[in-house]
Amino acid sequence: MSKLKVTALAFALIASFGGTLPVQADETCNSPYTTKLIKGQEDFVHVWTLGVKGMGDESDKLVTVDVNPKSKDYGKVVHSVTVGGRGEAHHTGFTDDRRFLWAGRLDDNRIFVFDISSDPAKPKLVHTISDFTQKTGYVGPHTFYALPGRMMVQALSNEKDHGGRTGLVVYNNKGEFVEKYDMPTGRHGDVMADGYGYDIGINPQKNALLTSSFTGWNNYMMDFGKMVKDADAMKHFGNTMVMWDLKSMKPQKVMNVPGAPLEIRWSLKNGDNWAYTATALTSKLVLIKQDAKGEWQAKEVGTVGDPSKVPLPVDISITADAKGLWVNTFLDGTARYFDISDPEAPKEVYQKVIGSQVNMVSQSWDGKRVYFTTSLLGNWDKKGGDDQQFLKLFHWDGKALSEKFSIDFYALKLGRAHHMKFSAKPVNTAGLKERVAELASNR
Amino acid sequence: MTSKHSSSKRRVRPEHALALALALSGCAGEVAHDAATAAVSVPLGLPVMPHPPDNPPTAARIELGRKLFFDRRLSFNGTMSCGMCHVPDHGFTANELRMAIGNEGATVRRNAPTVLNVGYHPRLFHDGREGELEAQVWGPFLAHNEMANPSIGHVLDKLRALPDYRGAFERAFGGRRPTVETVGQALASYQRSLVSANSRFDRYRYGGDTTALTAQEQQGLAVFAGKGRCTTCHTMGEQSALFSDFRYHNTGIGWLRGLPQPLVEVQLIPGLRTTMTAERIDSIGEKVPNDVGRFEITLDPDDRWAYKTPMLRNVALTAPYMHDGSLSTLEAVVDFYDRGGGGAPDQSPLIAPLHLGDDEKAALVAFLKTLTGEHQRWVDEGLRQSTFMTTLNPITASGPAPTAPHGR
Repeated sequence: MSKLKVTALAFALIASFGGTLPVQADETCNSPYTTKLIKGQEDFVHVWTLGVKGMGDESDKLVTVDVNPKSKDYGKVVHSVTVGGRGEAHHTGFTDDRRFLWAGRLDDNRIFVFDISSDPAKPKLVHTISDFTQKTGYVGPHTFYALPGRMMVQALSNEKDHGGRTGLVVYNNKGEFVEKYDMPTGRHGDVMADGYGYDIGINPQKNALLTSSFTGWNNYMMDFGKMVKDADAMKHFGNTMVMWDLKSMKPQKVMNVPGAPLEIRWSLKNGDNWAYTATALTSKLVLIKQDAKGEWQAKEVGTVGDPSKVPLPVDISITADAKGLWVNTFLDGTARYFDISDPEAPKEVYQKVIGSQVNMVSQSWDGKRVYFTTSLLGNWDKKGGDDQQFLKLFHWDGKALSEKFSIDFYALKLGRAHHMKFSAKPVNTAGLKERVAELASNR
Repeated sequence: MTSKHSSSKRRVRPEHALALALALSGCAGEVAHDAATAAVSVPLGLPVMPHPPDNPPTAARIELGRKLFFDRRLSFNGTMSCGMCHVPDHGFTANELRMAIGNEGATVRRNAPTVLNVGYHPRLFHDGREGELEAQVWGPFLAHNEMANPSIGHVLDKLRALPDYRGAFERAFGGRRPTVETVGQALASYQRSLVSANSRFDRYRYGGDTTALTAQEQQGLAVFAGKGRCTTCHTMGEQSALFSDFRYHNTGIGWLRGLPQPLVEVQLIPGLRTTMTAERIDSIGEKVPNDVGRFEITLDPDDRWAYKTPMLRNVALTAPYMHDGSLSTLEAVVDFYDRGGGGAPDQSPLIAPLHLGDDEKAALVAFLKTLTGEHQRWVDEGLRQSTFMTTLNPITASGPAPTAPHGR
């Protein structure tokens, strides 16, 4: 399909929502185009898990955990699908219709498509995309972000030198390649664009596509201890964010954000025009917001922990009301909650050590349930006894986290627990009354 | 400096011309003559490329070797090729990391050396453990921390099954299919074609162009051959220069690397550094593998922490430097030798403090930058191998972007 057709289709679908697409999801970091929302209790958490040499079948797998407290299997692994081999399993993303979960591997560049909707308790691998690099020249399919009828993928690297220059890729929901877009390079205004990529965040109301920047295969596959001692490798982290015109897929502005800005979280409130990111190396919270003239600006608004100790902020999760932000710091295994009622002045109001290391955080739409996993990258995770690998559920009452269950992924020979997504059983007539009551009790 | 050769290309020696003629007689490729000539004729400043009698260069072999060199499918999980560590845009090394990484990010202990002019090396790898390119290629194919193939047969089976290789080996090797020998010969043929010289230094020393070097660069050459004592190991001949004695020396850098480091300086972003304790790095890093250099091959105590002298051609393109990539710039290398090396107890007596002045060190660096050569056809083909985005380093199709010397 031509680029023109793609952008025209996207525009038409955006327009069909009247420019005020409902920004809702069970988990607040999903694409705003994701539909079939879970408003109450999620039934399952799917964990994209890295295989470990010498453990079990040594392969990457999608692990499904029953998280409904009314289930007899609450807090237990109920299913896993092994995809074969280790390829640096990393992130996942739903298609816009929420029927399929795309899961990528940063090393061998394979993308696995799981049917989640037919039986959420038993996801089924239905398609594998094996020619991502051949089609695009990119390496490391990282973020999977639903567009209407499409899936946008942010890559991290390239096949030319395994460095950080990379691009965005659009597939249709059948898994067919549609188009690719190089990340901008060269001078853009006063900023030198580095061509790096990491996360995708879209604000449809603003026609705004925001991207961040990390590093290439050379670094994200390297042993972490080896890398920090390699002064040449450390020169090759992203220092920019890019605001794109979503409809035309043209970069509009490149912003200096030094220190590897990672996850992007837009405020989910209608009409808001700001997003947050955290920089991994410099431990800063950065606000991306339109100024009085409507121009996008990136501004440091806070720090995370003691930046001199490099706590390494990793995943962040914004609450649905845009008043709170969870920030995990990998090296001290700590979850930190920031009051961002004033997004210009975030205040850390709570912190708790989750384990010896922690990476991903996902919260239910009401913010009452917060899930944590541990793995950052296969060769970056801690070594020895500090290499804990778990999924933990905590309840959040607005003041403190209380642990509800913990699943040791190493004890179960599963591997390294990474990205999480929620799903729910389809509502049937017999269970409808109970379900409605349950939903009501959760509001 | 007197002129040694008026042409920028060397003639093929009679014995090599004979081998070439024999090779061409069995070669079906219509472009074989031009390509093979390009492979065996060399730019100003290099000696004739030695080719083994049983593997004369042909266009078909070189082209097949080039395809193999850049084929990521030939690693176990399809992520690595020779060209991922020997990146054409990075001077056929990897500029962005000190020591290479391989399959699933596994640690390789040493810096990826450039393969430009590798055909001149009498022995291969930093420790010289391999004697010919035809055999060397199987090391990375099978190393668990490089391309990680489980067996030779696994690679051959894959090649025999890939449709785009159908007939390619048979055409290049007189009907022979992919074997451990023909795969090695094809890759070796390609690597021997990666020649680069006719640098400004060559034009000055061997081409009679007295204006090819600036006054500062000429001063640097004098330091290189004189007070700096660089030519003791990085040798220059009367008619050509390979800049290596191809011997093994303990400069102290390997010994330095083995010393404990209680604090490590880490660059977070340009201009912002912090320190990490050894304890913290140990918590996130694997145990650093030991490396005793040439000793691992000979078990001769005199070879402990000794590594092969690298050639210096194109050195400005091949940072970072030393066998472990621990020095990022040419200035750092010059400072290292000016200090007298790493100070190891068993360090080579050839390495001693030089007491160079700042102007001499600057001149020496300026001279080293004149060793960037023009590349021959097959190097250019490598540079064009990937069409992904823009060229990452300013190397043009015919060589690095020329810099006009001052005062010319």
